[in-house]
Amino acid sequence: MRILVVDDETINRTLLVNMLEQQGYTDTFEAQNGTIAIELAKRVKPDLVLLDVVMPVMDGYEVATQLKKIADDIYLPIIFITALENEESLVKCFEVGGDDFVAKPIDKVILAAKIRAHARTRLLSKKANEQNKQLSFYRNSVEREHKIVEHIFANALSVDKLFNRYLDYCLHPASDFNGDLFLASKSPSGGIYFLIGDFTGHGLASAIGALPVSQAFQTMSRKGLSLMEMAETINQTLLMLLPDDMFFAAAIVNISNTGKQIDIWNGGMPSLLLQDTNGNIVKRFPSRHMSLGILESHEFESEVERYDMTFGDRLIAFSDGIVELENPLYEMLDDDGIENWLLGQPDISVEGILDKANAYLDGMQRNDDITMVIFTSQPFEPLIKRGLISKVPVKIVIDLNAKHIQSADPVVDLLNVLTSQLGLCDFHSELFTVLSELYNNALDHGVLELDSALKETDTGLSTYFTLREEKLRTLEFASIIISVEYHPDESILAIQFKDSGSGFQQIHTSKLENIEKSYGRGILLVNALCESVEYTNRGNTVDIVFKI
Amino acid sequence: MSLDREFSGDGKELTIYLDERFDFGKVQDFRLAYSEGNEGINSVVINLQKTKYMDSSALGMLLNMQKSLNDSVTSFKIIHCRPQVLKILQIARFGKKFDIA
Repeated sequence: MRILVVDDETINRTLLVNMLEQQGYTDTFEAQNGTIAIELAKRVKPDLVLLDVVMPVMDGYEVATQLKKIADDIYLPIIFITALENEESLVKCFEVGGDDFVAKPIDKVILAAKIRAHARTRLLSKKANEQNKQLSFYRNSVEREHKIVEHIFANALSVDKLFNRYLDYCLHPASDFNGDLFLASKSPSGGIYFLIGDFTGHGLASAIGALPVSQAFQTMSRKGLSLMEMAETINQTLLMLLPDDMFFAAAIVNISNTGKQIDIWNGGMPSLLLQDTNGNIVKRFPSRHMSLGILESHEFESEVERYDMTFGDRLIAFSDGIVELENPLYEMLDDDGIENWLLGQPDISVEGILDKANAYLDGMQRNDDITMVIFTSQPFEPLIKRGLISKVPVKIVIDLNAKHIQSADPVVDLLNVLTSQLGLCDFHSELFTVLSELYNNALDHGVLELDSALKETDTGLSTYFTLREEKLRTLEFASIIISVEYHPDESILAIQFKDSGSGFQQIHTSKLENIEKSYGRGILLVNALCESVEYTNRGNTVDIVFKI
Repeated sequence: MSLDREFSGDGKELTIYLDERFDFGKVQDFRLAYSEGNEGINSVVINLQKTKYMDSSALGMLLNMQKSLNDSVTSFKIIHCRPQVLKILQIARFGKKFDIA
């Protein structure tokens, strides 16, 4: 406890200092005038000041005012020592910032009691000040961290402007961070995927899950995976990452490249609405599943709903932040409220709905994030920039002997080379069918000399399968040579399959009239998918041209 | 690995889920999927949501299934085809024999 004694009379100061000493306060400083007192206070930072009122040059009132100014935010008790007795002077002591006074002659017991009382307050004030400092330090560092995370989120979760002409959307967080999420991505077949979702809670904690979801969504979109797989994978990821009490309501939508057909998986989100051009709500897609991040894989259901839109129809999806808006009468907006807005103004935009939402709130505080998206069915301009298809002519020859035929899966390997190395990803499904047909023909009917007619019945197919396995296992000498020539200038793949079999009669059916027949269908698929198909060499060689 | 399948609540509809490849390698799995414990079903749904690759042997298997179940089953549906798979089914005119959605 450091006490500053200010008095112009040496005797008075000595008296006071002695008195303090007797009470155990030995850390004392003396000043014989105001100026010295202020200088000293700045240096030694006293915990309490005993101040004489009547002094030359600068009186006690002035000194008190100055001392309070330099005391910062911590309470510095100033006790006036005064012989004055008129009320006015005493009142002034308090007006200038004094906290108490002790009348002369000084009663040492009273003085000590007052010092103790003010010391307590000083201590409290010190603690509060310390805590304030810690608080603002903490607050600053949190703010800084939020800024960094916000930056990362803004980059990771941004939606490509490419989608603006098809998707009208908004994301309005209730706090700095959003528990809501909106993602859009193109599919390899030229359609669009989008995801609208809502983590439990809002703010940073709920936003954290957005990153893994976004990553998974983007990756799976690029691969053109089904909504089923997407939902399952995201569920699995969140199950692993999120604490038990946190989960993610989401609707995932896949719009096909026609701009009409939509697939919807809805787990825990408000119904998605389908509005026709007259403004009527013609279909609702309610939540059919639990939110993501709750169910174990084996309990998880990923059924999706499919719907064919007509151009001009609108699909409207939103988070519960909007249906749960409350007006000043504490009435929730509800699904009906939104639907009425849509009916009242069939072409209302997301912005229009937000305006209405603000009017509905009528000054009330919004408590949850609002996210909304409207997709209007329309023909899609090609959304995909064609993957980088190689410009280099390439020839690949695969020469398979009996051992390779027994152990390898050349169709898949070749497909991988063509799609990843030459960039022919857009054609992977068709190429698979073509290569698979040609390879199976060469193997089954060329090399293994199996009879297609067997495949016509259920049991026959089984026999065929067993026979095939058997013949394949005992195969000793055989060869299938696959050669693929890629001609970038003509945008074609010229593919040849040549087998070592004794030849087979190709069934020539130009049209698939009789689909009852369980064989001969393969070559018809090849015919339909390829520019040209030509058999030579008793059917041991086939040449096809596949247009890129 | 066997295929996933599921019976409806009333046991009358069987749904079979194919995986990424539906080709000759699935002959036995597929046959098992529709022939085991199928008493009382009158509807079969083939879910192709995951199927990316398909060839004519898949078509054969589908037709054989239909032939084998025709006495008791009246509805055969193929659902959730990707566009590429749908194309194959359309080339093969499968719409005549199956309800493709």
